[in-house]
Amino acid sequence: MKKILATLAIVLCFVGTALAQDELSFERKQAIDSLALEKVRDLSKYIKIAGSKDTPFSEANRVIDRAEELFMSDAEIGVSSLSSNTITYYRVRKYFEHLMRLNYDRVEIEWYNIEYVSDLQRQPDGTYVGVITIFQTFRGYDAEGNLEYKDTTKKDITVYVKRKETQIGGRTIGFWDVLLGDMRVKETSNR
Amino acid sequence: MKIARNIFILALTFAFVWPVAGQTIGDFKMDETELYAMTKQMGQFMRRFNYEEDQFGERLNPKDPRYRSNEMRRQSLPILFDQEKYGTQTELQKYFIEDVTKGDSTYMTFLGGRWYSEVSATFKYKGKDVNIMLFLAVEKEGLGSKWVLTNVYFSEFNKLFPTGEIAEKEKYFLHPMSHELDFMNIYKAFQNSDVIEYYASKEYQPDYLTLFFYEIKQGNLVFKHVDSVKFHVLQIKDWYFEVSWFNRSGLNSGWLMSNVIYMPEKEKYNLIKFYQP
Repeated sequence: MKKILATLAIVLCFVGTALAQDELSFERKQAIDSLALEKVRDLSKYIKIAGSKDTPFSEANRVIDRAEELFMSDAEIGVSSLSSNTITYYRVRKYFEHLMRLNYDRVEIEWYNIEYVSDLQRQPDGTYVGVITIFQTFRGYDAEGNLEYKDTTKKDITVYVKRKETQIGGRTIGFWDVLLGDMRVKETSNR
Repeated sequence: MKIARNIFILALTFAFVWPVAGQTIGDFKMDETELYAMTKQMGQFMRRFNYEEDQFGERLNPKDPRYRSNEMRRQSLPILFDQEKYGTQTELQKYFIEDVTKGDSTYMTFLGGRWYSEVSATFKYKGKDVNIMLFLAVEKEGLGSKWVLTNVYFSEFNKLFPTGEIAEKEKYFLHPMSHELDFMNIYKAFQNSDVIEYYASKEYQPDYLTLFFYEIKQGNLVFKHVDSVKFHVLQIKDWYFEVSWFNRSGLNSGWLMSNVIYMPEKEKYNLIKFYQP
């Protein structure tokens, strides 16, 4: 129900703008930024739930399903650390499963209040592409409550924005469809 | 001296990145000031360079009087320099800022050309890990644009085509009447593979990108991973600079100008030729 309402809201935001637009106005860019940020905030929420040791297995799996729906089917997550340049690539489900399997008794995942949204650029097929940068802190504790590991990661998430049309009550309504793509996860020196 | 410099950076950054942001959640004490100050994306570098976003990282409406304001740029540009290398008020920095914020000021644009990405990557070549630099440029295509490979630098390729002495080169040629002899002497060109290119036209330039594609197609070069990325910017009139990623704590991190050189336009030709032959 929530999803239907959200979709309806997106559609209503753009009623009367059925024609594809080459140049996005400043106001439209802002509206698209908001749509994209919604998706990224959902992702942040899912990572926190799936990573928590208090989340039951079935609930975590449900959350991973929701997370997968945010992404393009071929999206990959590339992870590297300060100690190595090598990037480990995960599919979305594998990334979440890896997160769930981390060997700590308790983990804390928090997000900084920073969301940086790039300009949108068009790729050759006309789809708009942008990148949203967010920052996360992770802390893993052992059974005695001692901090075993901590890091701050920068997550650069690709956002694809495409103009689509749908029929509602015989009318053609245009809307912006937002999907997440590849995500680069890089450890930062900021602690 | 260092303390004074740090205080200056701090003041500069606070003036630009304001307010200082922080949040406390559970055991976390999260100070976001450093992350606000960090130039997080190359696109943010461009926006800060042009002053197209405010101090909170919010995109400015082109109708906003602050949009691309040279007065604001004079304040924000210093934080785009690698302060560890350039300090805060060097002559070069002052001259650069003064120059790019003049009446006929120049701005960076994504589709403006003359900026290149250098991707340093590790490949497997003949059983060994080797470093290869890939150069890419943004090219317009179809309804938008894409990054395309424009050149590579691989020391093994360059060794194949050393810059020979002119006197040495002059020893190797096919005399002008060779055609009358059915080129019976052409075998000499193939006797010493080290100098085969001396038999080519003086206009000849080795095409390293083709060599690179050939080695990939032959299976001799296998990609392993990207090591680092930086950008070479020649878009700004009379200036060349590099933008590199500084992953460090403090208020001067992210994508920053790491090498700034005054370069009149006519001197840029050879450099551009290197990135995009």
